[in-house]
Amino acid sequence: MASLKRLETEFPILDPDFQSFCALRGIFTVQDFLIRDLQSLVADAEQQPSSERFMQAINQVLYVIDGLHQPWLNGVDLMEDAQKNKHVLSTGCEGMDFLLRGGLRRGQVTELAGPSSSGKTQFCLLTASTVAYKYMGGVIYIDTGNSFSAKRIARFLNQISCPASEEMQPRVLQEVMNSILCHPVYDIFSMFDVLHCLESKLKYQICRGDNDERLIIIDSISSLITPILGSSGSQGRALMVSAMSLLKKLAHEYNLVVLVTNHTVGGDGGIPKPALGVSWKTLPHVRLLLSRDCGSNTYQVSLLKHPSIASGKAAKFIIND
Amino acid sequence: MSEAAAAAKSWINGDESARQMLGRAQASRPSLSLPAPLHRIPLRAGNVVEIAGPSPSAKTQLLIQTAVSCILPKERNGLHYGGLGHSVLFVDLDCRFDVSRLVEMLRHRIAQVNGCSCTADDEEILKLSMRRFSYIRCYDSCELLAALKTLHHRLEKEKESNGIGGHLLMIDSIGAFHWVDRASTSLPLGGKNRKYLSLQNVLEVVVEDLRKLMSAHPMLVIVTKATIVGTTGNDFRRNYKRWPSTGTFDASSELEGLREPYFREYMPPIWQSFVTHRILVRGSDDHIAMPKSQENNTAYVSEWLLPRLNFLDKFVVRNAGVFLVS
Repeated sequence: MASLKRLETEFPILDPDFQSFCALRGIFTVQDFLIRDLQSLVADAEQQPSSERFMQAINQVLYVIDGLHQPWLNGVDLMEDAQKNKHVLSTGCEGMDFLLRGGLRRGQVTELAGPSSSGKTQFCLLTASTVAYKYMGGVIYIDTGNSFSAKRIARFLNQISCPASEEMQPRVLQEVMNSILCHPVYDIFSMFDVLHCLESKLKYQICRGDNDERLIIIDSISSLITPILGSSGSQGRALMVSAMSLLKKLAHEYNLVVLVTNHTVGGDGGIPKPALGVSWKTLPHVRLLLSRDCGSNTYQVSLLKHPSIASGKAAKFIIND
Repeated sequence: MSEAAAAAKSWINGDESARQMLGRAQASRPSLSLPAPLHRIPLRAGNVVEIAGPSPSAKTQLLIQTAVSCILPKERNGLHYGGLGHSVLFVDLDCRFDVSRLVEMLRHRIAQVNGCSCTADDEEILKLSMRRFSYIRCYDSCELLAALKTLHHRLEKEKESNGIGGHLLMIDSIGAFHWVDRASTSLPLGGKNRKYLSLQNVLEVVVEDLRKLMSAHPMLVIVTKATIVGTTGNDFRRNYKRWPSTGTFDASSELEGLREPYFREYMPPIWQSFVTHRILVRGSDDHIAMPKSQENNTAYVSEWLLPRLNFLDKFVVRNAGVFLVS
């Protein structure tokens, strides 16, 4: 955060006099102000000969601090933003859309957990195809296990566009495929890289007024997080929390749907439960648990957590070959 | 002599009787009637309530339910809505708040009063109530501190412009930055009296700022705290064994049976001494059938830990809100 010295060029009231007053009390930057009790500082300033100027300077810093937090929103503004920007996107799979009352909501992070071969990647690919085709939206697909398949996407696209087994026009197919960007990523730091690049790109696009990104998929986020979650120590968890914080920020600010997948571990009595531990549980908006009977193409999904739907509901769906 | 004696006498006499003081306190800080399960204990401005529990245990739902009864007007156009007509400040640290859920619950409450006839009145009441709801999201501790530091000025300005008093401050959830702050503790630089950013310091300042805010603007603070520290087998056993409560043998054996792995406290003592009331919520295995439908609702159990009440409340969350079932 900015030091008081740097702020002086913009706000001359923060003169060297005030800076030395602050330095005596161990305050050099705006961040030092934040972790200080301001009232005792104000009381101190009142004792000084040039108290009036110091008070002005403290108010100036408070004004700077006021710009550091997100704006306070009124309930009515929130409602309008939700109606205008936070729609649901269909996943292309009826059972899931029914369970989630229409699909994945923009601005929310959805976790899809399940044991291996329970349909997580298939669901991700289907959702990517649906969003790219139906909403003409850009999809950012972060692939951590080399499981992204362009062929499978093309097949899904053919199914969605014309069920009567007619081939899609190559030109249209190419256009839709172009809007799905796959980033192979093998560690959490490269994921941060990709997301930060995306953030600055989105910021630039918002300025120009053409924001067409709709969906971020991370398949699977658990394979990036598990290696850094040691048995003890907080570094790994801190990275996990800040990654999710960044995803939630992107989702909310740019009205994106974020879909991440998680693997499962054996819980009490051998029943599979989502991995990544208790500190993960509080992070996603929506948590879904997938399972599949061996050999069939019917998938079962149950709702573990949702901001507005009772947890425990379940549904079945089919993903065609 | 007489002057000094008079001063001494007036000092001995005291300013007011206990009865007067009680009357004054009740008039200036009336206890707020909050929805179940927070209704068991009279809560008033100046209290800090902590709703603790694992995820998911309907903590945010309880906050939203409380917000609904707070922002609804008491009565309007001769209809009794039963709200408090206070404003709510919602500080979202988890960034998971869904405004459509708040609107859904509000609509249910309004429809209950107005009957099924949907009128333009409904929308008006909804807007009126929603205007009392203020929301901020914070992505890290610095944003939280910045918001708290400038909240006083904001409330002063609000008071001047429309005379709104009586606030309810909600924080969801206080442990959100625990891991990040714990990991990002910086080395103390630049002199002894320079405070550095650390978990301990951040929470000290949060508590200090909240205290200042509450003394300037009397308000009730409700905070959720999620379980984010896992219990290993050892902790589980260590905490599970509790000393038997002396004397009273009513529901405590039942309490003991229902007690899930008791979760570990991770907030520093400064925070714990700031909290005046604590309620523990958790999911239970029971499912309560809903009347007129086949759907089952998961039942949640709430238990007052501070002050300790020796009974449990069971509640379910439905579309219309939170309901007690026992």
